[in-house]
Amino acid sequence: MLDRRTLMGVGAAVTSAFSFFTGRKAYAKTTEPKVLPAGTLAPRGRFGRMERLASLDLESRQDFLMSFRTWANSDLSRAAQQRADAILAAKGLKKDVDMSQADAVALLKDDPVIQTSTRAWISCQQLSWNGLKEEFEGNADKYLSELEAAEKLGPGKLELNPTYPWPDYVKHEIHIQPGGYVGNEFAGHMYHYGTNGFYTGRNQNDELHVGSANNMPIPKDGKVLRILDVGTGIGQLAMALKERFPNAEVWGIDAGAPMLRYAHLRSVERGLDVNFAQRLGEDSKFPDGYFDIVTSYIMFHEVNPEGTKAQVKEAMRILRPGGVFYPLDFKLTGAPRWTPYAQYRRWWDHRWNNEVWTMKFRQNGLPDIIRQAGFDLNEKEPELLKGFGILNATKPAQA
Amino acid sequence: MADDKNRPKAAMDFIKGDTDAAVFLGNPHIDNLMSIVIAIGAEIWADRQRSRIIEHLLETKGKVTKAMIEQYVPTEEQKTAWADERDTMTKRVYGVLARDTSNARPFGEPRDFK
Repeated sequence: MLDRRTLMGVGAAVTSAFSFFTGRKAYAKTTEPKVLPAGTLAPRGRFGRMERLASLDLESRQDFLMSFRTWANSDLSRAAQQRADAILAAKGLKKDVDMSQADAVALLKDDPVIQTSTRAWISCQQLSWNGLKEEFEGNADKYLSELEAAEKLGPGKLELNPTYPWPDYVKHEIHIQPGGYVGNEFAGHMYHYGTNGFYTGRNQNDELHVGSANNMPIPKDGKVLRILDVGTGIGQLAMALKERFPNAEVWGIDAGAPMLRYAHLRSVERGLDVNFAQRLGEDSKFPDGYFDIVTSYIMFHEVNPEGTKAQVKEAMRILRPGGVFYPLDFKLTGAPRWTPYAQYRRWWDHRWNNEVWTMKFRQNGLPDIIRQAGFDLNEKEPELLKGFGILNATKPAQA
Repeated sequence: MADDKNRPKAAMDFIKGDTDAAVFLGNPHIDNLMSIVIAIGAEIWADRQRSRIIEHLLETKGKVTKAMIEQYVPTEEQKTAWADERDTMTKRVYGVLARDTSNARPFGEPRDFK
């Protein structure tokens, strides 16, 4: 694996590096740092596949915020749940009474414990993002140099399309990440470290993505030559799929150019031949019948209803007959009925954590959209990620 | 951000959220205080981590430098112990936020002491 400071040295001497970096064996020869720009700290090593954050203080603060988040999601949330139950009981209502979301929010929003629980969670989220933003923007030259050096290297390609008419739905600050996925040069960096906090540190080796890739169903004829990961973000699933199918041509597309630049950086570091392109899932530019597998990782709940239908239609177009379409996302069937407190939580996650499209995702009938597009849909197996939805669709041979 | 305006950029215009303006606790300054107390916890934990590393380096190496601290990789045992200490601190410091306040009394409410 390349070290990023090595990468910068290589980028500074790119002419010779081009001939040097032609395959995985060549990468293994380049592990000694060549240039450390003045003023930069020596790299602090890695935790799994993640480069450690640049300073112990930053790492420790993020570590603490991860702990606080976990506590807020457990003890503090339980206290809020108990208050919700008590408020309902005082009105003679059961805690799982069927109630509209608007009524649930109106009933619960003014309780001090519930308010405190919400405030604490949001504050923690803001502090985590702000700490990361401060680091990456405050040392922009260093981090941009790494991205620029990687762009001159392969083995995979990076294609950016800044003049494309990007729709508004991709431009929101999802999860209140500063600038969202498109509007900050360090969106990929922030996403990687921020979401590792979401995963309470259990995705340092992309474990969830590797697990999902390893569980991915394949066409019945066993042929997997080309794979597309839509909304690839920082390329975690795309790279995991490349590791499972090393001979396949793997693409990851996303609207967020900063995310893709970071994805490419990571693929260069790891010597993985994955191509990343700034394209929309509903306008992928690939030929008809090109792919054997089209997939996505927890992406559709961040797409508006129009985009969702268009993306499913596009997946049908670019898959070959017998190809597999598996959009991994939140479970839409078999979930327990939402209690008033759960409705309240879902509200603030939508409104104040900027999960802009999640509520519409839960209502838009993605399984039916997939069937109406002409896919055969299996909602029983396989489960890619424990607790998430199963949408294993196949393009019929006659389609 | 870098000063070089000719540098290739990838970011585009985005739609800004309004969560920074959210008021959950009735007064935006009280909301700010919540952020402050969590941030202070993070700062304290950063110092605590640094102290633990310095203690360990002094015990095992007899000396310490800034680079040694920054580069230090905790052992699995230390990771587990420090995570326990961190989580215990979180509960100890912030547990009061989860207390039931449904019997809260207004400041001006009189009480007939016997």
